[in-house]
Amino acid sequence: MYTMVRISIDGIEVEVEPGSTILEAAEKLNIKIPTLCYFPGLFIEATCRVCIVELSGTGRFVPSCTFPVSDKLSIETDNAKVREARRIALETILATHKIACHSCPRKGSCKLLELCKEYRVEGIPICAECLLHGDDCLLAIGEACLGPITNAGCKGVCLRKGKICEGCRGPITSADTIREAAKLYTKYGINLDIVLNKLSIYGSSYPGYDMIVKLLLNLFEENECK
Amino acid sequence: MIVLNLDESGMTRWNLMDRCCSICRHSKETPCRKYIDCRINGPLCHDEVDCREKIKFRISEVRSGRGGLKISIGMGSCGLAVGARDVYHLVLKEVEKRGLEASVIPVGCMGLCYMEPLVEIHKDGMPSAIYGRMKPESVGEILDAYLGGDVSEAFALRNRVGLAKGESEVPLLDEIDFFKYQVRWVTRNCGIVNPESVEDYIVYGGYRGLARALESKPEDVIEIIKKSGLRGRGGAGFPTWLKWNICREAKGQPKYVVCNADEGDPGAFMNRMLAEADPHRVLEGLIIAAYAIGASYGYIFVRAEKPLMADRLEKAVKDARYYGLLGHNILDSGFDFDVEVVRSAGAFVCGEETAMLAAIEGGRAMPRQRPPYPATYGLFGKPTVINNVETLAHVATIMMDGWEKFASYGTNRSKGTKVFCITGSAARTGAIEVPIGITAKDLIFKLAGGVREGRKFKAVQIGGPSGGCLPENMLDLPMDYESLTSAGAIMGSGGLIVIDDGNCIVDIARFFTSFTMAESCGKCIPCRVGSKILYDTLTRIIEGEGTENDLKILEEVGMFMKNASLCALGQTAPNPILSTLRYFRDEYEIHIKAKRCPAKVCSRLVDYIIDENICVRCGLCSKQCPVQAIAKDDKGSYKIDSSKCIRCGQCMIICSRSAIVKR
Repeated sequence: MYTMVRISIDGIEVEVEPGSTILEAAEKLNIKIPTLCYFPGLFIEATCRVCIVELSGTGRFVPSCTFPVSDKLSIETDNAKVREARRIALETILATHKIACHSCPRKGSCKLLELCKEYRVEGIPICAECLLHGDDCLLAIGEACLGPITNAGCKGVCLRKGKICEGCRGPITSADTIREAAKLYTKYGINLDIVLNKLSIYGSSYPGYDMIVKLLLNLFEENECK
Repeated sequence: MIVLNLDESGMTRWNLMDRCCSICRHSKETPCRKYIDCRINGPLCHDEVDCREKIKFRISEVRSGRGGLKISIGMGSCGLAVGARDVYHLVLKEVEKRGLEASVIPVGCMGLCYMEPLVEIHKDGMPSAIYGRMKPESVGEILDAYLGGDVSEAFALRNRVGLAKGESEVPLLDEIDFFKYQVRWVTRNCGIVNPESVEDYIVYGGYRGLARALESKPEDVIEIIKKSGLRGRGGAGFPTWLKWNICREAKGQPKYVVCNADEGDPGAFMNRMLAEADPHRVLEGLIIAAYAIGASYGYIFVRAEKPLMADRLEKAVKDARYYGLLGHNILDSGFDFDVEVVRSAGAFVCGEETAMLAAIEGGRAMPRQRPPYPATYGLFGKPTVINNVETLAHVATIMMDGWEKFASYGTNRSKGTKVFCITGSAARTGAIEVPIGITAKDLIFKLAGGVREGRKFKAVQIGGPSGGCLPENMLDLPMDYESLTSAGAIMGSGGLIVIDDGNCIVDIARFFTSFTMAESCGKCIPCRVGSKILYDTLTRIIEGEGTENDLKILEEVGMFMKNASLCALGQTAPNPILSTLRYFRDEYEIHIKAKRCPAKVCSRLVDYIIDENICVRCGLCSKQCPVQAIAKDDKGSYKIDSSKCIRCGQCMIICSRSAIVKR
């Protein structure tokens, strides 16, 4: 028989088996720590760093999915510093993430989108929300929806009522996303003038608007030529 | 006549390591407890005048050369790079031509890298003279002059006898600035012993530490290291005895010891120097460590890009095994231990201990989460101690000379000496051993002679790509683990790169970031993506497209990498950026706001202009320009069109009057 290890998570004390991870201990307390690459039994390598927590008092951040508990360990899972670190982790992940939600196999269950929403990281288009809810694409019926170039995070309220996206949350400035959007508009034969017109209503007040318009026009021309 | 071929020393003639006569029973199979002591003070088990004389004669031969003439040539990697091999062969030829009886031996680097190739000549009755920057063509001349009693050409002398010509003008080695402040503790044999001969090492006191350790209990060995206050010299500064003790008490058999000789920092080469010049000292330290923790097998993990270091360590292991210093029942103590030299595929991340263990196991060199630490769960899941080359050399020396002397150097919390490597724009580059706690100012200005002529000191990068960049006003900082960390740098392996005013700080930061970006193993997000983001941001700033927001990105992502990376590579990778942002923020701001590079290094932010007062209108630059950006105007003077100019600098090189300047 081994002795149990006593640790404290967010000020709540709990006894766990020695050798278990912080994440397992938190589950016992019903404290939710977000994870992304963690997949029990298959992949526990702590590469995404979304599940990091702070060891209280030390200023040290450790991934909760692999860090084993030790006696009298005190952990904070949700303070401002941890949230900030998680936000930058998500931003770094998005920096190399190919955002092509329409052709993504995870479109129905995008954990990344959910976490980005929670931590207010921008960069995923509203299209992802439609796909998440299984709604039909408005572009397919010829509507000039701004979904492909607008930041997600609003839960797509308008779209779910059958209204097109007006882009009130501002445009995405990543070139990859805009390229993807131009492809979609060409595919469904949407008139670019209408799209640009709509974009100017809210989008023109955001930084990088001119660049986006220029890029869209160029890409559209290229696609038309093909 | 000359009878010296190093590879065959010990094969052709009687060697100090061999039996003196048939009474001696030492061999690999029947080891003798007194073997090491017997080599120097022997024979101990019987009293035979012949044997005694034989040993005495051989010792004097090793110390002062065959026939009283010994010529040592510095043949470390640094010496070989500037032609020491040619010098070596020429010395052999010249000695043969003159029909002299002499020992011609290759030795390791003594730290004076800027004076290589070094040749030291010693003749009985004459002062030992060291000649620097030896050219092959002057070998004969210098040899003749020395043998004729003239040492005035020498760079330095080891001792004075008062008989040779020009002796008083040449400084003693210990008097020159580079050596005056040094404490040669672990590098004492560098440049003196032949690294490929175990016999040389024994004559200069080698393996006595091992003999002493094997006579005492393992716990006592740990106690001695504890008293000495030795901390790991690999960078983190973890107390060596504590690591050993944890491993000793950990459950699991067999235990392993690993020597981390995978030195990868640009600008740090003390491990290479030590292992090349004195490989047996490292091996001795490894055997002592194994004895202390009860390990039965050891690995030396050597970087494959340092082939000479690997070769010399392999030779040392082979020789030690041959004479019964490795293997079954070492020196009749009942302790079994063997070592294997493993060559790495050469990745910076292998300096991280868990990545190195993965590489030894045959896997991909990627670190894993710690704890569990290797001391309890290491190589093949067994308790493992990992020590750096320099740490192990210190262990051997402490066991040899006692802990008291070692502990008398250094500061309260960091005891002993440390080898630092000074490179970059320093006037004298090389490796120096000083007590810990010496200030960076003394290191750079007293020992290394400051910055090269015509330049001004700007900053020093301490600890390689993982370290920080410190400005001039921080130089009074003592060089110990805690002070350096608090200043934003790290001790690291101990490399100092001196940066002069001709370098742009942003460019330097980008250089180090490009290094860590390329060396990142790619396992965790902060390091893999973060380093790329940092690199791209710095590139933007250097190319004149930086914004105020970029500095925020650098700090945010840098701190994130520091906090959330899996291993020390990622945690320390943003250090060059964070420390330069701390001390040289104005330089970043000039790049961003004024779009100018103060050091005139970042080509996109520099304009070339022609000074009309100097220009003689020869038109050479106009012809040289690859993009036709230089043209004559109405008045006949030449102008550079900066919108066409690609900043290649060709015009500046071709101009005979230096009329073209950067602005």
